[in-house]
Amino acid sequence: MKRLTGMFWALVFLAVPVLGVATFAVAPSINVWLPSDVSAHGHEIDSLFYFILALTGVVFVATEVMLFWFMWKYDAAARQGEKATYIQGSHTLEVVWTIIPAATLLFLAIYQMNAWANVKMRRPDMPPTVEVVARQFEWRLRYPGRDGLLGTPDDLHIVNDLHLPVDEDVLVQLKSMDVLHSFFLPNLRIKQDAVPGMKIPVWFKGTETGSWDIVCAELCGWGHYKMKGRITFVTRPEFDAWLERKTAEQDATQPVPEASGEIVAN
Amino acid sequence: MSNHLRLACVALVPALLVAGGCAPTPPASFRLNMVEATSPSAEKDSVSAQLALTPVQQRQVATILTAMFGTPDEPVCLPETGLDPAKLKLAAGPVRSDIVGRKNGLYREHCVHCHGITGDGLGPTAAFLNPYPRDYRPGVFKFKSTERSSKPTHADLVRVLHNGVAGSSMPSFALLSPGEVDAIVEYVKYLSIRGETEIALMQYFFELDDEDKGQLKETREFLVGEILEPIAGKWASAAEELIEVPEMPADIDLAASIAKGRELFHGDKANCVKCHGVTALGDGQANDYDDWNKNIVKIETKLAALSAGDADAEERRWASEFHEVLDGDALKPRTIPPRNLRHGIYRGGRRPLDIYYRIHAGINGAPMPAAKGTVAPEDIWHIVNYVRSLPYDFDGELGADRAVAAQPSTVGGLVASKATPASEEN
Repeated sequence: MKRLTGMFWALVFLAVPVLGVATFAVAPSINVWLPSDVSAHGHEIDSLFYFILALTGVVFVATEVMLFWFMWKYDAAARQGEKATYIQGSHTLEVVWTIIPAATLLFLAIYQMNAWANVKMRRPDMPPTVEVVARQFEWRLRYPGRDGLLGTPDDLHIVNDLHLPVDEDVLVQLKSMDVLHSFFLPNLRIKQDAVPGMKIPVWFKGTETGSWDIVCAELCGWGHYKMKGRITFVTRPEFDAWLERKTAEQDATQPVPEASGEIVAN
Repeated sequence: MSNHLRLACVALVPALLVAGGCAPTPPASFRLNMVEATSPSAEKDSVSAQLALTPVQQRQVATILTAMFGTPDEPVCLPETGLDPAKLKLAAGPVRSDIVGRKNGLYREHCVHCHGITGDGLGPTAAFLNPYPRDYRPGVFKFKSTERSSKPTHADLVRVLHNGVAGSSMPSFALLSPGEVDAIVEYVKYLSIRGETEIALMQYFFELDDEDKGQLKETREFLVGEILEPIAGKWASAAEELIEVPEMPADIDLAASIAKGRELFHGDKANCVKCHGVTALGDGQANDYDDWNKNIVKIETKLAALSAGDADAEERRWASEFHEVLDGDALKPRTIPPRNLRHGIYRGGRRPLDIYYRIHAGINGAPMPAAKGTVAPEDIWHIVNYVRSLPYDFDGELGADRAVAAQPSTVGGLVASKATPASEEN
């Protein structure tokens, strides 16, 4: 009976790596894996993620299997009368298991530097395409108008509905009006805190036309969960036409006939 | 024994969870407008006048309202209201999906935490916001394309939901589907018509003569014909009361127009400087209240007068009742600051057209008066042009102060364009 209890617990611990690996194997097919990547730089981030996942995965499975094996093999019930050996530790072993992880972490730190620099340091030399101002609980957007300058009377103001040209470098100037927010574009592998009082540059290049989510990734208040926007990539001619149309709407001096539904449609 | 104890504990935890977590919650109900129920209309201010509705009268009002409008979960929509029951159904009730997978209970998903289940602007987050969320019950809306005292059109409310109200806590709902926005607007109208009916009923009680005190003609003809229909009629006819906007002259000389607008802004007729200040920073008269807050202020003043002077028994009872009301059914009154026109933040929309509407009709419920009648329609365009130039006016009244701020900055690694400080919004 006691032996059975020991085996049961050993198997419970074995279930951890088995279920762990199974979760990762099944996740992509039930759509709880990484969202589709529509950015030029995203594959770099993703391959880093996969590399680290594989590395930690191997270590995880190895440790868990060893844990199971020791529980199974050295179960007291199966080794009646045997006395455990008393040891005071192994200096060599400790040096080895300190140096290997340290070297691995150092390697990762150096290995990812290029990807980090591409996303956070090597800003394209261009004026902002759009200014994104985070506010409890919405994204207020401002496009430089025809003069290409922000902060002039012809700026175009939009809320929540970010349109950008596809296959072009885009520079976003990120600000916050009130508290900390985080500008998160899951499909572009972009996440950047918006900090009150700072203008933070964010850049990326979309590779597919279509619409994806903008979400806030920093708990910013009670309405955080619904601080959602939409990013839409369109071709350059479509983007220019959209800017024209929205600017004309913003310059309206006469009411728009209600039937056109222009107020609701975007 | 200890094993039994352990077992009992293990069994008890889920039992407690079930009992605590799954107890049926009481159905949502509308709150009575207690401020209105304790404030007789101004005309009847004699000492003998009734100071507050009796509990019996309050129950009577509540019963009539339930019969006419139903409950938050099961709204009733009389044909006389002109509302669409299908849209109301989509917006009302708890958040859930219906049989075709459509989201229901939109009002409670998106609006209720600020505007409250009754539409009284007393949701759980209301007290933390400045300005306070709109109380729909008086049926007064600020940002619309209709004349000052008219109701907003359906499209006006859709526009507010779509753009949000910049500068207040009202966010944009631009990404909801047009059908969902439509349903929410319909529900806001429903709460508004319900609230206005409630106020009309209460004022009717206050105006009853002594002999028929406590008696109300509970006939359909009276309730629908005399109370509901005039209210619903105003909503139905809103689209006929659009503000007529003259064309802005196509060959207008912008600089000349701005100069003319500036003159009018500072002039005696429009007298915008009185509140917005000569600098347009909104630093003129700033101690006024909007209508929603004014109601509470009036009553607070009355309370203060009562506690200073000698009140009779009836008045003392009223005063203590009202203190209770102020605790739970009203927020601490706040003044409404005139807009700082140099921020470039426009609550009712930034189109020249929106600003024309605001100047022409004023802002209903707020101290902003209508220029209609005192300023010629063409001249309003000049004021619009002047107001729109203010956030970018470096050489005007504020030129000296702004010159420093207009230096290029490199904060956060971005070289700011020269003009950026013009409309810094944070």
